[in-house]
Amino acid sequence: MVSNTLSVQFFGQLIELTGCSNVGAPQVDDTDELLRWLYTRYPALQKATYVIAVDRKIVRQNTRLATHAEIAFLPPFSGG
Amino acid sequence: MGVTAKPIFVQGAIPATMVAQCVQQYAAETTVGAYSCFIGQVRADVVGGKSVTAIEYTAYTAMVDEHLEAIAVDVCQRYALNGIVVKHSLGTVLAGEICLFVLAAAGHRRPAMDACGELVERIKSELPIWGKEHFAGEEYQWKTNQ
Repeated sequence: MVSNTLSVQFFGQLIELTGCSNVGAPQVDDTDELLRWLYTRYPALQKATYVIAVDRKIVRQNTRLATHAEIAFLPPFSGG
Repeated sequence: MGVTAKPIFVQGAIPATMVAQCVQQYAAETTVGAYSCFIGQVRADVVGGKSVTAIEYTAYTAMVDEHLEAIAVDVCQRYALNGIVVKHSLGTVLAGEICLFVLAAAGHRRPAMDACGELVERIKSELPIWGKEHFAGEEYQWKTNQ
C-alpha cells in the first residue's frame, strides 16, 4: 500500500473537469510520473490547458518532487 | 510605507472609499509627489445576447501572496517608488462594482504612471486568479484575459 503524501490542488475550470479541488497522490519522483498517475485517474486532464506549480513556483519542465511537495494545476489566469 | 499593504484580497466588491483610504495612508510621506491608480470594474459584457451579471473570483492565494511580493519588490526598485497598494476581489462582484485597485506612489508622475501600468499587466498575466462570468440564471463562462 503506497501512502498518499503529495498534495495536488486544482483551480478554476479544472475543478469542474476533475470533480475535485484537491487530491492526495502517491509520492512519485517527478512531475512526469505524477502526470501519468493523474491522467489515468482524470483522462480529461490530458486535453486541458494548464501550467503546473510546485511549491508555488511555476515549472515548465519535468521537475523532481520532494516529500510533501505542494503541487497545483493552474488553468489560464483571468484576474482583474 | 511598505511595498504592499496586505492582505491584497477583499471579500466581494472593493468599496470606493477604500481608494481614498489607501491614498490617505501616504499622507505623512512628503517625498511622494504623484499617485497613479487603476480601478477595474466588472463590465456587463453581452455574450450571445446575454449580459454578464457578476464575476465570481477564486485564487491560489498562497501563490498570489508570494508572487505579488516578488513583483512589488521588482517594480518598486526599478521605478524608485515610495510604495504600491494592490487590492483584488475574491468571491462575487456584481456588474458595476469594483474588482481591482492598484496604486503606485512616487516622487514624480512618470514613474508612478509607468509602474501602475506595468503592475496591472503583470497582475492580470502572472497571478493565479480566475474569474467566472455569471449570466442571468444558471449559465456562466470562464473569463479569459485579452
